[in-house]
Amino acid sequence: MERLLALWAEPLGEERPDGSNLRDYLHVLDALGALCPFVEPVRLGLCTLPLRGPSRFFGGDAAVFAAVRQSVRDTLDLEVSLGVAEGLFCAELAARQEVVVASGETTAFRRAQSLATLGHKELTTTGRRLGLYTVGEFADLKSASVAERFSATIRVLHRVARGELAELPGQRDTRLAARLRSARGEDTRNDEQVSFFGQRSAGDDRAQAAAHRVRHRLGPEGVLVARLRGGRVPEDRSTMTPWGSPLRDVRDDAPWPGRLASPSPITSLHQPVGVELRDENDEPVRMGARGSLSARPASLVLVRGSCRAVVWFAGPWPLVEHWWTSPRRRAHLQVLLDSGEAMLLSAEGGRWWLVGIYD
Amino acid sequence: MFAFSLPRPRLAEDVVATLRPVTLAKSRIVPISEPWSSLTPGGGLRRGSTVVVHAQPGLGGLSVGLSLLSEASAKGHWAAVVGVDDPGVVAMTDLGVDLGRVLFVPRPRGAWAEAAADLLDGVDLLVVRAPSRASHGVARKLMDRVRERGTVLIVLTEPRAPWPLPVDLSFHLINSRWIMSSRLEARYVTLRVGGRGEAARRGEHVVMIPDSHGRAVRE
Repeated sequence: MERLLALWAEPLGEERPDGSNLRDYLHVLDALGALCPFVEPVRLGLCTLPLRGPSRFFGGDAAVFAAVRQSVRDTLDLEVSLGVAEGLFCAELAARQEVVVASGETTAFRRAQSLATLGHKELTTTGRRLGLYTVGEFADLKSASVAERFSATIRVLHRVARGELAELPGQRDTRLAARLRSARGEDTRNDEQVSFFGQRSAGDDRAQAAAHRVRHRLGPEGVLVARLRGGRVPEDRSTMTPWGSPLRDVRDDAPWPGRLASPSPITSLHQPVGVELRDENDEPVRMGARGSLSARPASLVLVRGSCRAVVWFAGPWPLVEHWWTSPRRRAHLQVLLDSGEAMLLSAEGGRWWLVGIYD
Repeated sequence: MFAFSLPRPRLAEDVVATLRPVTLAKSRIVPISEPWSSLTPGGGLRRGSTVVVHAQPGLGGLSVGLSLLSEASAKGHWAAVVGVDDPGVVAMTDLGVDLGRVLFVPRPRGAWAEAAADLLDGVDLLVVRAPSRASHGVARKLMDRVRERGTVLIVLTEPRAPWPLPVDLSFHLINSRWIMSSRLEARYVTLRVGGRGEAARRGEHVVMIPDSHGRAVRE
């Protein structure tokens, strides 16, 4: 299930006679919409967004939280509670408790919740009598015995407790979309993706419809878009983000001293593959402390057993970055294999990585 | 009806400027940049056609295939790339591709043909690198759909997984050679252009891809 970032703003959850809470909520949605086009209004005071795309884009979960908090602060001068978990039920609980549930830990998180979180007084009281205090204990009851003893509503809650349903009945305000539309007045244009594509042509619409179909088929990470960003080496300068996640135009005109010159590899591995570089005696080639190689590379072992002769190399070009925090030391090396294939390697953490192929 | 052709009425110049032929010959061509345009009939890729770029892995097939997107994407045509796992964004930019018009479906796994079919309706150029050998039936279906939709399909193939059907235009990379200095400088790629019908410039050509600026240029 997708990890959701839930945003809970208690002051906006209360209805106010002048409707100002609805307007404020709308402002929050608009502000968040500028960060990510997939913000989903759930009910007054509560909205969610898928975390994965934005996290990739902003460079980590913490960066997304900071951006969201800042954007709400700028709009309304309001502090909000954020939380992350899979599924709406758990995501809201996470937000109210201000916790980030790690990927894959949602079941444990859900099971540990008090039975009262299911929001059904009768169930909570009956449960206490039966010695059931947590969602997990309730979930462990057999479905058949729940069906025998309890009402249809509680049977649904049992499914939520078991994780078969992602949200509580009534958790989502079904009239909210209409209310927001009317609060927005006449301005009901469909503005999905406008921030990304700017002005749209018929061709853009067709391309988007196609991207939608593929994403539906393959999942949220199925369709990606690529952008350049600043950096010294190709694998740092490439960003691939899920189609539909927020995209700022990243200016890449800043000077990057020590940038690896063109040509760049046409395959740039976002998850580098460990490789072995060996000298003519079949000993590993290492990076020395002074940025030189311990020996001349003679062969490259790509995957276990597949050993290729290195006929030429260039580099290494050392890079020391983030010296103001903890330094990241890397060195890049181009190698040409006897097959005519050229590759870009990076030495980091005492070993070699394949980071690019000049296909 | 008439035994003689009627003289065309003289039209005001501003009216003439707005006239367009029923079908623009050019609109049936998706533009490609040099050096490819001088190697292809009509200087572009005909809508509804299938192009194969065939090469040993690592010898330049991917660069050639993605380079074919540069002119079209820069002119506002949408393109999609299916099955290229880790596209080099910097290298593509150097080749002149406008990344704002390219959708990537990097790991379609078993669904590459379905993903390709989904995208055919939405883009003008579709690059496909099939993760496995395409069956006759799948290839046929895809090419039929391409013809029907007026898209251009660019298939990247390698010897262990050739395209099972004859195509309209093909680039076979037969040799590639790097020029080195204190780094990789440029690569000469020798390719054979072929295809059905009037593939104008059949025969072998040498293209520098990438050159020292990462571009594709005619030798």
